[in-house]
Amino acid sequence: MLSRRGMLSGMVAAGLMPARGWSDVGAPRFLAAAKDGSGYALHGVSEAGESLFSVALPARGHAAAAHPERAEAVAFARRPGTYAVVLDCLSGRVKAEMAAPAGRHFYGHGAFSPDGSVLYTPENDFENAAGVIGMWDVFGGYRRLGEFPSHGVGPHELRLMPDGGSLVIANGGIETHPDAGRAKLNLPMMAPNLAYVSLSGEVMEVVEPPAGEHLNSMRHLVVDAMGRVALALQWQGDVAEAPALLMLHRRGEAPVWASAEGPRHDAMQGYAGSVSFSGDGMQVAITSPRGGRVQVFEAGTGHFVHEVLLEDVCGLAPGATGFVASTGIGGFHCIENGTARAMQAHKVAWDNHIVPIGA
Amino acid sequence: MSRPLTCCIALCASLWSGAGWATPDPVAVVKSEVLPGFETLAEKAQVLEDAAQADCSPDSDALRAAWADAFDAWVRVSHLRFGPAEVADRAFALAFWPDTRNATPKSLQGLIAAEDPVVESVEAFGQVSIAARGFYALEYLLFDPAFAQESHYSCALTRAVARDTSEIAEAIFVDWQTFAQEFDAESDRYRSTEEALQELFKAVTSGLQFTSDTRIGRPMGSFDKPRPTRAEARRSERSIRHVRLSLEATESLALALAADAPKVAAEIREAYEKAFAEIDAQESPIFAGVDNPAGRFRVELLQAAVERVRTVVGAELGPELGVIAGFNSQDGD
Repeated sequence: MLSRRGMLSGMVAAGLMPARGWSDVGAPRFLAAAKDGSGYALHGVSEAGESLFSVALPARGHAAAAHPERAEAVAFARRPGTYAVVLDCLSGRVKAEMAAPAGRHFYGHGAFSPDGSVLYTPENDFENAAGVIGMWDVFGGYRRLGEFPSHGVGPHELRLMPDGGSLVIANGGIETHPDAGRAKLNLPMMAPNLAYVSLSGEVMEVVEPPAGEHLNSMRHLVVDAMGRVALALQWQGDVAEAPALLMLHRRGEAPVWASAEGPRHDAMQGYAGSVSFSGDGMQVAITSPRGGRVQVFEAGTGHFVHEVLLEDVCGLAPGATGFVASTGIGGFHCIENGTARAMQAHKVAWDNHIVPIGA
Repeated sequence: MSRPLTCCIALCASLWSGAGWATPDPVAVVKSEVLPGFETLAEKAQVLEDAAQADCSPDSDALRAAWADAFDAWVRVSHLRFGPAEVADRAFALAFWPDTRNATPKSLQGLIAAEDPVVESVEAFGQVSIAARGFYALEYLLFDPAFAQESHYSCALTRAVARDTSEIAEAIFVDWQTFAQEFDAESDRYRSTEEALQELFKAVTSGLQFTSDTRIGRPMGSFDKPRPTRAEARRSERSIRHVRLSLEATESLALALAADAPKVAAEIREAYEKAFAEIDAQESPIFAGVDNPAGRFRVELLQAAVERVRTVVGAELGPELGVIAGFNSQDGD
């Protein structure tokens, strides 16, 4: 007998039904890429950490972008990847493939506009060592619409601001060229920044690290409904000299740099992999896979609250009130009140990021 | 000793080694593998400073030889990018490469065009752009036809760069005398022997990565667009030499870390031997053959051999030291 799922996917493939929404695939709360045995897959994960579906990926993924309405995800190859696949999460089929234009590669991240009509992708114009933001027409089959400058080098991740009319971009500052793999070509001269850019490409505000901290690469970021931005950084200098790895910012205000004291901060090893606000919005946290810990701060002040030790942790997203975190050894944890509770242990290695759906 | 106890010891020992607990003393490794290299660099850089003082002309054999010796000494420690070398951009000021935007020649031209008096004092020159300092700047001044002309100012500039290089090399060596103690288990920089060993292990893996991706990878470019003019130190024809020196240095450190694990050491030695054989098979000292199929193939074999070394070190030595890292922690984004 034909299963409901099989029948639905057949109808979708035949064009008999409109694209399905997230509720049709079990209403996952998160997307997360993982290594499963020898293969790679993108999972839809419930708030309780269960895998509701998984879709095979052609190679190791990095992060994904979740369409706000449709059960559709864009999975990016790891940088310096030149392709992304648009996955129908109901059928598991590849709906579209996106190839970076000549002279560009993706950084592994992307974000949809709130109405889901445009996908924005940070890209490297590697011959000119300049960051660009690509625009893709979602309803036109992920056709390239154009691009504009990211106003920095190495744009790693971006988000739509809640005003709907601007982007916030983490320009990592590190020059790379696909010929030299992931080698960092400009460390002494690197200049990271956080740039707010209008949807037509005009720069509106730029935040840079303080003098002497230009080796602090701005990499991953989140923004909440009030326009508060939290940024996770990766220090490229001597690990013992690492400055704060979390920056909190609001448009027009001075940034707040947040770190734990002394050895607690040192234990992060100069590397924050993911950043997230808590489900209740009161806290913000960063993960360090190298340090095997999650550090939690007050979202309002940036004051350190506590830390949770978790081996090979990297993925982080808002939970019901606190956070959820995933590890390279398969754990999907709920983090609340300074403790980690393993919700599920999967036989997969969760990759760098957990992407909330509908956030 | 009674027999059962001996058995237990033998069993426990085998269990431990199975779990990967070959732990050399990090302080001893630093003493044998790190300090002598920085001492040599400081000595050779002083000889370089003296040679420039004695004769600043770009075609002076004594100056070129002193520069080459000091540069060799730098390449042999260039993988040790932590601690004193990373203070105040010291390593970058000694070695500004790769120079993707031609900042070195531009900065030198700027100083020369302005006859900038900054060359007159050590302190002032220490504030000059790191692109105009160190071994790669000296290579332009000694070997590039656009720069290697004798003039009063270029002589003063050569002497200033040589003196600055010597100052930095000396400062790194002096700091290492105390920094070496951080590798002791009692210190607070590294919380455990494993962390201290991990720092040294990372120096091996990141040194190998730099050699593979950058020293070899940059001139390779892509098949459609080979980039022989991107080869490191091609003006002085040192490109392949640097690959060899850096591999010798990381091999020595890797073998010191593998001292208690003879099987792993043998595998490491074998992988390096193959890489050195591929170096011997190169026809051009400056990767000039990357734009023809046969030459490119040779360079690809060399890069593959270095990658093989990386794989062996990562898969065999890391676990042996108990410093293996996870899916995310070893990876970066």
